Amino acid sequence: MLRRSFRTQITTKVVAISVAAAILLGSALVVLIDAVTGQRDAARVAFRSQDALSLANGLEKSLLSIESGLNRYVATGERRYLAAARRELSAYPSQTRRLASLVSDDAGQQRRVQELGEAIRDYDDLWAKSLIEIVEEAGFEVARSQVQTNGGRERLDRIRAQFASLFDRERAVIRAREQAAERGSSRAIGLGIGGLGLVIAIAIGFTLYLRRSLLRPVRTVAEATGRMAAGDLTTRVPADREDELGELARGFNTMADSLERGREDLEHSNAELTRSNAELEQFASVTSHDLQAPLTTISMYAELLERRHGEQADGEMDLVDGIRGATQQARALIRDLLEYSRAGRGHLSVEDVPVSWAVEQALEQLAGAIEESGAQVTVGDLPVVHADRANLCRVFQNLIGNALKFTGEQAPRVSIAADRDDGDWRISVRDNGIGMDPEHAQRIFEPFQRLHGEEDYPGTGIGLAVCERIIDQLGGRIWVSSVPGEGSVFSFTLPAAVPGEAEPARVRARA
Amino acid sequence: MRAVVSVLAGLLAVVVLGACGGGDDDAMTGERAAPPAGPPIRIGAKNFTEQLILGELYRQALEAKGFDVVLKDDIGSTEIIHRALRRGALDMYPEYVGVLLSEVAEDRSRPRGAAAAYDAAREYEQQSGFTLLAQTPFSDSNALAVMPRFAERHGLRTIADLGKLERRVRIGALPEFRTRFEGLDGLQEVYGLRNLRVVAMETGERYDALENGRVEVASVFTTEAQLAEGGYVVLDDPRGLFASGHVAPIVSAEILEAHGPRLRETIDAVSQALTTSAMREMNAAVDLMRRAPAQVAADFLRRKGLR
Repeated sequence: MLRRSFRTQITTKVVAISVAAAILLGSALVVLIDAVTGQRDAARVAFRSQDALSLANGLEKSLLSIESGLNRYVATGERRYLAAARRELSAYPSQTRRLASLVSDDAGQQRRVQELGEAIRDYDDLWAKSLIEIVEEAGFEVARSQVQTNGGRERLDRIRAQFASLFDRERAVIRAREQAAERGSSRAIGLGIGGLGLVIAIAIGFTLYLRRSLLRPVRTVAEATGRMAAGDLTTRVPADREDELGELARGFNTMADSLERGREDLEHSNAELTRSNAELEQFASVTSHDLQAPLTTISMYAELLERRHGEQADGEMDLVDGIRGATQQARALIRDLLEYSRAGRGHLSVEDVPVSWAVEQALEQLAGAIEESGAQVTVGDLPVVHADRANLCRVFQNLIGNALKFTGEQAPRVSIAADRDDGDWRISVRDNGIGMDPEHAQRIFEPFQRLHGEEDYPGTGIGLAVCERIIDQLGGRIWVSSVPGEGSVFSFTLPAAVPGEAEPARVRARA
Repeated sequence: MRAVVSVLAGLLAVVVLGACGGGDDDAMTGERAAPPAGPPIRIGAKNFTEQLILGELYRQALEAKGFDVVLKDDIGSTEIIHRALRRGALDMYPEYVGVLLSEVAEDRSRPRGAAAAYDAAREYEQQSGFTLLAQTPFSDSNALAVMPRFAERHGLRTIADLGKLERRVRIGALPEFRTRFEGLDGLQEVYGLRNLRVVAMETGERYDALENGRVEVASVFTTEAQLAEGGYVVLDDPRGLFASGHVAPIVSAEILEAHGPRLRETIDAVSQALTTSAMREMNAAVDLMRRAPAQVAADFLRRKGLR
C-alpha cells in the first residue's frame, strides 16, 4: 500500500508540473484573448463614436440651415425656405434618438444627448414655431423685429456649445478607451512574455530535475549493469529512494545478490568437481601403478613354471603361455592407462619448439616400423610453435604410428604439412590407410575406443585420447576427416611461437 | 461562513444608505411637504435680467414646496413667449400686465388704472384657458430716459416734449420696440411723434449708448437699477402710453387644476413679496454686482421665508 503510494510520486510530479505549465500557458492565452477583445471593443466603440460624431456634425449643420432658412423666410417671405426648415425640424427627434444610440454608454454623454434633444425641441417649440406664428398672425414686419432680438441665434449658439461639449467628451471617451485598450495589450504582452519565461523556467527546472532525479539514478544503474556484465558481481547501487527509481535500484541489487550467490554456488561445485576428478585420476594412477607389481609377480611365476617344467608337460605349457599372454595384455593396458592419466598432468615446460624437430624425433622412434612397412613419409615446411617438446613428440609418434598401423593393401604414404590459421598453426598428418566412417570421427578420441578387433590391429585404443588431451592442454584442438578406404587426415592447431610470423624450418623429406 | 455573509450584508447596507443620503440634498435643506403630483411645471422667462430673476424666484419657491419644475428662461419677447405658452410649450410665465394688454390683447384704449388693466388682462387670458394670478406690488413700466444734460438743454420733461426737437431723435431700444404699441407705434399714435428712429440693441447696451451719445433717448424699464442711481431723467408719460408695469404670472388652467391650490398659493406668496424696492435691489445685484440671478433669487426667498 505504502509502496503503491510512492510509486505514483514521479508520475504525480510530472503530471503536476505539466498541469502547472498548461495552466500558465492557458492563463497567458486568456490574458491575450482579453487584450485582443479589449482592442476590438475599443475599435468598435471608436467606430461607433466616429459615427456619432459625424451624425452630430450633420445635425449641427442642419440646425444652422434651419435657422438661416427661417430667417430667410422672415426676410423674404418665400415659403420654400419655411418648408425646408420645417422638414428638417421634423427629422430631429429620430435623429437625436439615433445619436443617443451611437454615443458611448457613458452616463454623462447620454445626459448630454438628452439635453441636446431638449434644447433642439425648445428651439423648435419656444422659438421657431412662435416666429412662424408671428409671421402668420402679425406679419413679416413684427417677425423681423423678433429676428433682430437674436433670440433664435442665441439659442442656437447655446445648442452649438452643447454640441461642442458633446464632441469633446466623446473624443475624450474614445481616447480613454483607446488608452485603456493600449494599456491592456501592453499588460497582456508583458504577462505573455512573463508567462512564457515562467514556462521556459519550468521546462528548464523540469529538465534539471529529470537529469538530477531521474537520469542520474538510471545512469548509475546502467553503469552498474555494465560493471556486472564485465564480471563484477559485487556491484550494488544506492537504493534509498522511495519512488519508482528506488524500486528499480532495489530490483537491480536483488538481481546482483542472486547472481553472486549463483556464481559462488557454481564455483563451489566446480571446485568440488575438480577435486573429485583429481582424486579419480589419482586413484587411477595409483591403482594402475600398484596393479603392475602383482602382474609382474604373476608373470615371473609363469616364467619359473615354464623353466622348471618346460620339457615334461607339453599340454600344460599351453596354459602357462595363456597366463603369460594375458598378463602381458593386462600390463600393456595398465601402462596405457597410466600414460593417459599422466597425459596433461604435471608441470608443462612450454617453449618455442620447431615442429620439424618433433617430427624427426618421432620418425626416429618409428624407424623400425617405417622400414618394415616400406612406408613413404613426406614432411613439408613446418613452423615453430609454442608447445612442450616431449608431448609434441608423443603426438607425432601416435599419429604417424597410427598411419603406419592402419594400412590397406598399398604401401603406406604419410605426409606432414602445416598451414596458417589466424594466430595459430594448423598441422596435418595425412595417410592413405583404411580411413573410417565419418560418424566415428568423434568417438575415436575417447579412451579405449576401438573401431577394429585386437586381432586385426593390435593396441589398447588410448593413443588418440592421449593426443587430444595434450593438444587440449597446449591450447589447441584436434580433429579428423576421413573417407573409408582412401585414408585419413588428422589435423591439430597450436599457437604460433612468436605472435605474427615464425619462419617454417626446412626439413628434408625422408623415405 | 455565516459571519462573512453578515459582514458583507452590513457593508452593503452602509454603502446603500450612504448613497441615498448623499444623493438627496434637497430633502435636507428644503421643506418638502407633499410629494409632487401631476406633470412637471414648465416655467418660461423672457431674455432680460428682471425676467431671469422672476423665473428663478418662482422655480425655487415651487421646488422648495416639492413641485417638479422645469425653468426655460431666456426665451424672448412677449410675442414669442406668449405664443409658446398658448401652444402648450410652457405652463406659466410672468408677464407685464400693460404689455399683455397692448401687445397680446391689442387693447389700445388708454389711460387706465392698474387694477382695471389687471382685470382686463385677466379676463382676456381667462377666455383662452389661462389664469392670470395675483399681480406683484412692484411695477416695472416701460419708460423713456434721457441724459439730464440733454433734458436741460432742450427743456424736456414729458414724452410729448420730444416733439419739440427739430432734429431726428434716436431711441436705443430692444428690436421689438419698433413694432410695438408700447413702442414706436404708440409714440407715433398717442404722442404724434414723427421724428423718432429706433436703434435696436440688447438690454445691456442701452445705458452705455445713452451715455456715449449713440442715442439721445433710451427705452428703459422703471425698476432697472441704473435708474435708481439717479443719473438719468425719466420722461413723464401724461397720456399713459406705457400702461401698468405690474407683473402677473400667466398659468395654464390645466396645470393649476392638476396641482391644486398649493400651486397658486406658492406662486402668489412670491408675487406678493415683490415690492419695487425689492425688485430694484435684485436687478441691481445682477446688473451692477454681476451676481447670478439664481443666487440673488435664492437669497431673497430665504430672507422672506419662502424657501
